[in-house]
Amino acid sequence: MAAQIVKRASLNRSTISDWIKGLLSRLKNDGGQGPSFQSRTFEVDELSAAQPLKRHYSSGTRTCTLIPGDGIGPEISAAVQKIFQAANVPIEWEVVDVTPVRGPDGLFNIPQAAIDSVNKNKIGLKGPLMTPVGKGHRSLNLALRKEFNLYANVRPCRSLEGYQTLYDNVDVVTIRENTEGEYSGIEHEIVDGVVQSIKLITEEASARVAEYAFAYAKDNGRQKVTAVHKANIMRMSDGLFLRCCRDAAEKHPDIKFEEKYLDTVCLNMVQDPSKYDVLVMPNLYGDILSDMCAGLVGGLGLTPSGNMGLNGALFESVHGTAPDIAGKDLANPTALLLSAVMMLRHMELNAQADKIEKAAFDTIKEGKYRTGDLGGKAKCSEFTNEICSKIQAS
Amino acid sequence: MATKLGTKAFSLLKYSSPQNVTRMLSQAAPAPFDIQHSNPFAKKVDAVPVAKYGGRHTITMLPGGGIGPEMMTYVREVFRYAGVPVDFEVIQIDQKSESDEDLEYAITSIRRNGVGIKGNIETGSARPGVMSRNVGLRNELDLFVNVLHAKSHPGINSRHRDIDVFIVRQNTEGEYAMLEHESVPGVVESMKVITDENSARVARYAFEFARKNGRKKVTTVHKANIMKLSDGLFLEVSKQMSKEYPEIQHSDMIIDNTCMQLVSNPHQFDVINTTNLYGSIVSNVVCGLIGGAGLFSGRNYGDHYAVFEPGTRNTGTAIAGKNIANPIAMLQASVDMLHHLGHTQHAKMIDDAIYKTVNEDRIHTPDLGGQATSIDVVQNIIKYLQQSTRKINWQDTRSSTFY
Amino acid sequence: MALWNKNLWCVLSKVAQNVPATCVAPCNRLIHSSPPAAIQAEVSKPEGRTTCTLIPGDGVGPELVHSVQEVFKAAGVPVDFEPFFFSEVNPTLSATLEQVTNSITKNGICLKGVLASPDYSNVGELQTLNMKLRRSLDLYANVVHVKSLPGVKSRHQNIDTIIIREMTEGEYSALEHESVKGVVECLKVVTRTKSQRIAKFAFDYATKTGRKKVTAVHKANIMKLGDGLFLKSCQDIAKLYPKIEFEAMIVDNCTMQMVSSPHQFDVMVLPNLYGNILDNLACGLVGGAGVVGGASYSPECVVFEPGARHTFAQAVGKNVANPTAMLLCAAKMLNHVNLRFYGDMLRGAIDKVLKGGKVRTKDLGGQSTTKEFTYAVINNLR
Repeated sequence: MAAQIVKRASLNRSTISDWIKGLLSRLKNDGGQGPSFQSRTFEVDELSAAQPLKRHYSSGTRTCTLIPGDGIGPEISAAVQKIFQAANVPIEWEVVDVTPVRGPDGLFNIPQAAIDSVNKNKIGLKGPLMTPVGKGHRSLNLALRKEFNLYANVRPCRSLEGYQTLYDNVDVVTIRENTEGEYSGIEHEIVDGVVQSIKLITEEASARVAEYAFAYAKDNGRQKVTAVHKANIMRMSDGLFLRCCRDAAEKHPDIKFEEKYLDTVCLNMVQDPSKYDVLVMPNLYGDILSDMCAGLVGGLGLTPSGNMGLNGALFESVHGTAPDIAGKDLANPTALLLSAVMMLRHMELNAQADKIEKAAFDTIKEGKYRTGDLGGKAKCSEFTNEICSKIQAS
Repeated sequence: MATKLGTKAFSLLKYSSPQNVTRMLSQAAPAPFDIQHSNPFAKKVDAVPVAKYGGRHTITMLPGGGIGPEMMTYVREVFRYAGVPVDFEVIQIDQKSESDEDLEYAITSIRRNGVGIKGNIETGSARPGVMSRNVGLRNELDLFVNVLHAKSHPGINSRHRDIDVFIVRQNTEGEYAMLEHESVPGVVESMKVITDENSARVARYAFEFARKNGRKKVTTVHKANIMKLSDGLFLEVSKQMSKEYPEIQHSDMIIDNTCMQLVSNPHQFDVINTTNLYGSIVSNVVCGLIGGAGLFSGRNYGDHYAVFEPGTRNTGTAIAGKNIANPIAMLQASVDMLHHLGHTQHAKMIDDAIYKTVNEDRIHTPDLGGQATSIDVVQNIIKYLQQSTRKINWQDTRSSTFY
Repeated sequence: MALWNKNLWCVLSKVAQNVPATCVAPCNRLIHSSPPAAIQAEVSKPEGRTTCTLIPGDGVGPELVHSVQEVFKAAGVPVDFEPFFFSEVNPTLSATLEQVTNSITKNGICLKGVLASPDYSNVGELQTLNMKLRRSLDLYANVVHVKSLPGVKSRHQNIDTIIIREMTEGEYSALEHESVKGVVECLKVVTRTKSQRIAKFAFDYATKTGRKKVTAVHKANIMKLGDGLFLKSCQDIAKLYPKIEFEAMIVDNCTMQMVSSPHQFDVMVLPNLYGNILDNLACGLVGGAGVVGGASYSPECVVFEPGARHTFAQAVGKNVANPTAMLLCAAKMLNHVNLRFYGDMLRGAIDKVLKGGKVRTKDLGGQSTTKEFTYAVINNLR
């Protein structure tokens, strides 16, 4: 592995060395407090031998960045804050605004304060953001992704008990490579009417996400990792991705590993979702499959999402801003709440995470206080209060 | 690797010829104003690919008015029995409606299918200044040439025998420009437009046609002795064009003389090249000589589209629904269409069946002096088709279409 | 007028059946004679024989194809097959691409099982055999009609969607290279010509089948140029079809909508990869790979093949595969070559067997074998 790193570094020296430098400095600064998954990449390196990994079970209060977002964002963020308060989660929120400001280069960008905050806290929770339509605006989601080097997107999709959909046995986690692939953004028009887009697959990013997938499976007690690919058609690029997954699988013999064609997964997923556990895949496939899985369990309003990065982790709700119901106290905070729960797990605050999750699930299951999107009549605040009282009762 | 990639990228270039379809598409839905006032100049349009999938064509069918709908029924019936791989998109045009919405949709449909077969469309409005829908359709699709093949059927009694004349007619301008106005009460001016470009296109078509079909002579019909500028231009362009085709004899004839010659000595004509109105006159005269309106088909061609119809363009409202109209003209139009689409075998099969019905079995509708109904004629044709489909179905009819 | 026309049809079709060969010039019929009672128009039933190229393919393909042949034999369908062993897994025995293309070009129709595509590492070539076949025949449009079948239990009911997929460019261009070690670039090529061609195909198909809406699926928010061009082309072509509603949808949203409310879709048009995903997804919704037929069109020929392409290699020789997809393909093929009489008969028999529910293969929750299913279909032929 070390040899490999060196070899890679010689090809792409600046990137790799930056990456290593970043990790090193973080280790130093945090004294090993960094999120465990990041260090995990190190465990396989000899570097880790020099400085054994210390797990940090925090008892002190930690600061998290909160980006409430647009539309219904502020209300659901408030709901999450309230619930956290009720559960006595030792977290202090640092609320930042990411409304783009015009930088010296004339482009609209995220305010530096927000970036600094996430960089400092290393962990953030984000509501839905609206990407302004028109030229000159970069998608904020994309900007955040770039800024924090969020390389893996994790979306657990689980059927909620009590909320009836056509599928009641869904429990899959999609892990999606988030920095390259089809979304590399390299496109050009060769001649009029002929466009080439480049799908970029690198060993570095593929290995990184594959390794993360196995680490996630191990940390969360999952049995199996499925690599989703289309290497029968894209023989080199998806072939490379697949090879990286195989390499990672060898290092984790305790986790089952299988390879499936993208089309087969689509076909089987809608027939019998219980066939799959953790799915790892390149960018575009992940984008498509994660939304599809969300569709199986009832939409984006119920699925949490986390982004793991080199410079921090960002948890978010991936649904839209729903401007039509904004401010009416009708929104469903479940997605953001579950994302926050994911965040707690990530910070190893498992006790609080379990407590909140159970309260939320129970509330939905009982069905007395469901929001409109789940077929109930409750307001957002009623739903929130019910969860709070459940937490306090437990 | 780089060179391999290079060649592949290069091979993709051939798909990229900047066919500016968008320009054509922007004309997709012509406003009523455009239809009525479309100028007589050649329209520059680029075609979208024709609707041909897996060897099957889709074509636009405009039944039109009068006997049109029943004739179309026969065409579909005959196609069904012949197993022709053609599907129809039938578009009814509301005859009475003042609005041109249906017509516009029909034109759009022909644009995307590339080929249409039509009956005669009645124009609902009698207001002056409202363009005939047939003319509008031809102008809008820039179907600049009309070809009619007048060929005697041996089984039909007529005064002249063995006539075989092609009439190539300018189809979009001339007297049909429909630019009329009443300058002072009681004085009406009608504008006749002849353009160099359109005349050249028609003349070019006539000579090319003659060359390809082994014809010997092209006769340009005009009235340049009176209309020295307009018909003079047409004649001049034709003469110029004839120089490029030395093997084809070229002559010119004045329209009134032509009509006289046609009824007295029609065999002197081979290919007739003429302007819009004269073409209309000449084709009706010739058709009248050898059997009437119910026998011959006309083909309208543009650069990208083709529309087929009965040759003499009569609606036949008087005999509509009486089961006596002659279906041969429309069936012949469908045969022309099959030739155009490349389904030569099917075309030949139907053509043979028509020929046998008219000339051997002599099943004639009243317009030809017979007593058979329209259905009798069609049935007899179908009988022959059933015999011929016993041997062939798909492949035999394909072999010629592919190459 | 309309009534008259209807009657006309009836007369026509009646006499068309009964006309004796010797009947010449019937003169006794009056012009205004009233037409006799209605008789159903007979579907055309040419007696000429048709040749069809046959590629059994890999996996269970040969078993399924055998089922089709059995049914054709029993129904007396005037179709002869021209079989080719064509496989990428077994290149030594395989017919050459040229032989197969020539045959399909000549016949115009082909019935094809699924070809397995081994991974890159085994062959060292970027294009799969499937892709080569599509390229050489220019089979650019793949049509999968996803329709809930009677008697097949699935989560969603009454799905009826046509998915049309571009098959010659996009991600499947097989243009890949490793710029430096560990970094692979895969080119996705989108051209206006081909995008417009597939869009037009979709709209024409919608027109022909009387559909109301066409949905273009894309990811133009991210791939602004590539998918943007596809979207723009669809929008341009849509202008030619004022009577068909056009909408655009982003692919990830589309998959989500597909699994939660699939009834909103009518005709869908997609670039290559998205089409592959949606095809399989939709097949999964109505009962799996074994029950959905599809077809690939070029201007000149059609290849009929199952809608979701899985070789199902683990079931080879076990006599358990579901031949429904292949039989549906065969029925479609018959309709295409003017053998509608047989096509409808076969289609009816399949529906009857599925509806009856007594004979079901394993994938539909039954215990019947491929053979039993085939015989059930044969017994239900009219």
